[in-house]
Amino acid sequence: MLKCKEVVQRADALIDGTPLSFGERLALRTHLMICRHCRRYVRQLDALTEHLRQQTPVAPLDDGEVDAILARLPPPPS
Amino acid sequence: MSESQLETPDFVERLRDGDRAAFALLVKHYHPRLLGTARRLLQPADAEEAVQESWIAAHGALARFEGRSTVLTWLTRIVINQARMQLRRQGREIQFDPTEDTGDALAHRFRGDGHWQTPPLTWTLHGPDALLTRDELKHCMEKHIDAMPDNQRLVLELRDIQGLDFGAICNILDISPSNVRVLLHRARTRLFQLVDHFQETGEC
Repeated sequence: MLKCKEVVQRADALIDGTPLSFGERLALRTHLMICRHCRRYVRQLDALTEHLRQQTPVAPLDDGEVDAILARLPPPPS
Repeated sequence: MSESQLETPDFVERLRDGDRAAFALLVKHYHPRLLGTARRLLQPADAEEAVQESWIAAHGALARFEGRSTVLTWLTRIVINQARMQLRRQGREIQFDPTEDTGDALAHRFRGDGHWQTPPLTWTLHGPDALLTRDELKHCMEKHIDAMPDNQRLVLELRDIQGLDFGAICNILDISPSNVRVLLHRARTRLFQLVDHFQETGEC
């Protein structure tokens, strides 16, 4: 039987979709079935990583900003 | 133009052939992400400079890009190397292996038998309550991410904020998957502990 501390160690694998052996998966599932604290931990860790993912800057640069960067590149060979 | 279109063999071929319009598209779409990465290691002005230098370096090296990783992975690696060079000039060296043992931020919350002593509180990051404290929590998270060791902060940025896969992160940082996982676990438990504390006390 896994201890809660071990479930917390392994929760990252669940979040990341890391392949687990049948035995590891079964041990986690059994523990999570009976332990609401660990269920809460996994659920909230998942929400937290999802929240972080939404912080990624997605807006592309505008053309003026792109031009400013390109202006510092060496000129194309003539 | 989506990011996946910047990674097709045809597009990469245009880049290698020195197509300036293709390079401009790369800058337009990837610059903000690369700047986000550089800012995890450098002050804002230095980060801008590091990414600008990276574009110059990448432009010069594109003809030799072999396509063994994605263009984004290759560029991120260049940016991090530029950032490390800047840091070295300031007398700072980043150790990417998780050598220093800062431990697990949740360790004190377990009993001696390995079960919860202080279990997590129930909280959510969505909904009306979360909206009311959203800015404070965001500020608080940023403060804690800034305070992490460089290696944890960078792995958190690449994996959980940028969404890169483990293979790409290992390639970028030259460390093993198990070391990436250790660093990521430490970074995540720190943030989990912070959110739990914030939800309980309303304080950062």
